[in-house]
Amino acid sequence: MSKLTTFSDARPTTTRFIKATVATILVALIAGYVLTPSTDIYIATAAAMAVSVMGLSILTGFSGQVSIGNAGFMAIGAYTTAIWANHHEHFPIVLSLVGSMAVGALGGIALGLPATRLRGPYLAGMTLAFGYVMTPFIQSLGSWTGGSGGLYFPVLVTPTWFTSLVGESENLIGANARYQAVLSVLVAGIALFFAANLSNSRVGRAMRLVRDDDVAAELVGVNLAQTRVTAFAASAALAALGGSLLALVAGAATSSTYGVALSIELLSLLVLGGMGSISGAIIAGILAAYTDLIMTKINSLTGIDPFSNLGANMKGIIFGVVLITMMLAAPRGLVGLATTLAAKARRLRSGAN
Amino acid sequence: MTWLSSGFMSDVFLGITNGVLYGLIALSLVIVWRSTSILNFAQGAMAMFAAYVGMTMSSHGLNFWACFAIAIAAGFALGGLTERVLVRPLYKRPEINSIVVMVGFLGLLESAAAAIWSTAPRTLESPFSQIYFQHHGSTILLSPFALFQIIAALVIMTAVGAIFRYTNLGLQLRAAALAPEVARLLGVRVNRLLTFGWMLSSAAGVVAAVVISSSGSIGLSPTIMDGFFVFGFIAAAVGGLESPLGAVVAGLMIGLVQQFLQDYAPSGISSFAPVIILVVALMIRPQGLFSTTKARRV
Repeated sequence: MSKLTTFSDARPTTTRFIKATVATILVALIAGYVLTPSTDIYIATAAAMAVSVMGLSILTGFSGQVSIGNAGFMAIGAYTTAIWANHHEHFPIVLSLVGSMAVGALGGIALGLPATRLRGPYLAGMTLAFGYVMTPFIQSLGSWTGGSGGLYFPVLVTPTWFTSLVGESENLIGANARYQAVLSVLVAGIALFFAANLSNSRVGRAMRLVRDDDVAAELVGVNLAQTRVTAFAASAALAALGGSLLALVAGAATSSTYGVALSIELLSLLVLGGMGSISGAIIAGILAAYTDLIMTKINSLTGIDPFSNLGANMKGIIFGVVLITMMLAAPRGLVGLATTLAAKARRLRSGAN
Repeated sequence: MTWLSSGFMSDVFLGITNGVLYGLIALSLVIVWRSTSILNFAQGAMAMFAAYVGMTMSSHGLNFWACFAIAIAAGFALGGLTERVLVRPLYKRPEINSIVVMVGFLGLLESAAAAIWSTAPRTLESPFSQIYFQHHGSTILLSPFALFQIIAALVIMTAVGAIFRYTNLGLQLRAAALAPEVARLLGVRVNRLLTFGWMLSSAAGVVAAVVISSSGSIGLSPTIMDGFFVFGFIAAAVGGLESPLGAVVAGLMIGLVQQFLQDYAPSGISSFAPVIILVVALMIRPQGLFSTTKARRV
């Protein structure tokens, strides 16, 4: 990562926010008419994963604290939503999502407070320990969480106005999938907007200063502990939101899904997309949603039996290789790679003139 | 009912049996940390992989000890290879790069092991009996295998300690870790020694992995070391990451604390024990219980 980062003061304004929201709604609606239900699920997953990766991006990309346990925060969000949905079937979904974020943020603060005294590998190790214990912890609270079998909850009720809007009143499953896709994209849009805002705000700049040089940060009056805990809280809130959206797609929260493997996958996706970048998170989310399809393609192209040991574990192998090679060769991810290439191309062109 | 079979002593025995393994893994982490300032997140996965390489040889008719020897040799090789190929480019890079690369290596090794040997746990023949000792009609929670486990770990710890303390090689290793430039000027082949440190660390980890997976109850699987690595890391961190003795003592302590929590605390708390132990220990002494450097911040 380059140490010199230029900071822009330009913050996304409310007008831009409204424009972005309107654009997102339009894209979601248009996409909704074109796409089939199975694609809706991919879109919903992509949005959920983009939010989750953005959560890790705030912690690792902005404030430089590597987490190998963010799937644990996703689990918090997923279970909060699932438990809530089992108790209050007809409850505004927005409140449920906000509730999940709040519980996630509390978890982030709880882990972030001791983390302020740690850095680098110690911190990463602590988040790993946190991510590792979440699965058995959730399973031990069987009466709340349904134990190792996971917690299923009633399908998200699609409002009638939406069903009539997309004109699929006869196809409830399709309408429901579309509702989830639209909802996820909308929520992801709002979440990423706030992340972008945070990135350029005073707090975001403080985070990056802490990341690059904590002594300098302290000298200019940045409260180190507070900044680091804020990053943890924001990161955990977004991770919980992502986990919550993912649980809505699956209709269940299963503790084994949110193990260390998912945390490593999040880190791979983050590095692949580009740390600390909004578009990187979106790329990562889309990649995450389509990973299984891509893997099927790779398996069929190479003639590997997808049910063989190799076929089943190809994803993990590729993620591992990608994580290592990206970090060694292009630590700023695909977005960084694109920026570098664009800059090179510009230089070449101006050189030719 | 003798005092040896009391609930308290049972916890002590089980705690020590696990604790020596945590200590061994922690020691393995400390060796690498001291010489290269890299926390090897793939340590458990490397040990698991080498254990697979060795222990699957039993299907070729080799006995346990021959497989064990091959596994350790594979550990040496994998450690050296990792240092040369993956770790060397990381020395001058920011900390975050090495963390991410080692985590990537962890994922890669676990998936590769699953691809080669499948995720189904493989039970290994156990060289010693798992049946607990009986004393005047009551059970003591120690078995011949547990004794083997404790002795094997202590032997490796002592051997590593002796290498560092009494041999010329150990002196060079310490010199290379403490002051690489000066050591280089004095004719120490620092790069070669860094590789050797990784080989030694990796082989020590393999001993832990083989012992764990031949204990009968669990068997060898790609993710077998995950939990042990977490506890081993905690032991290393609590011990201060710099101190081999600290790592071993902290490992034993954590084994005991974990065992007592499991017995006396509600299950929710005992499953969260790793994080609680780490947080509490680092709150009390952020530099680690046995660290001697005072100016260092963690």
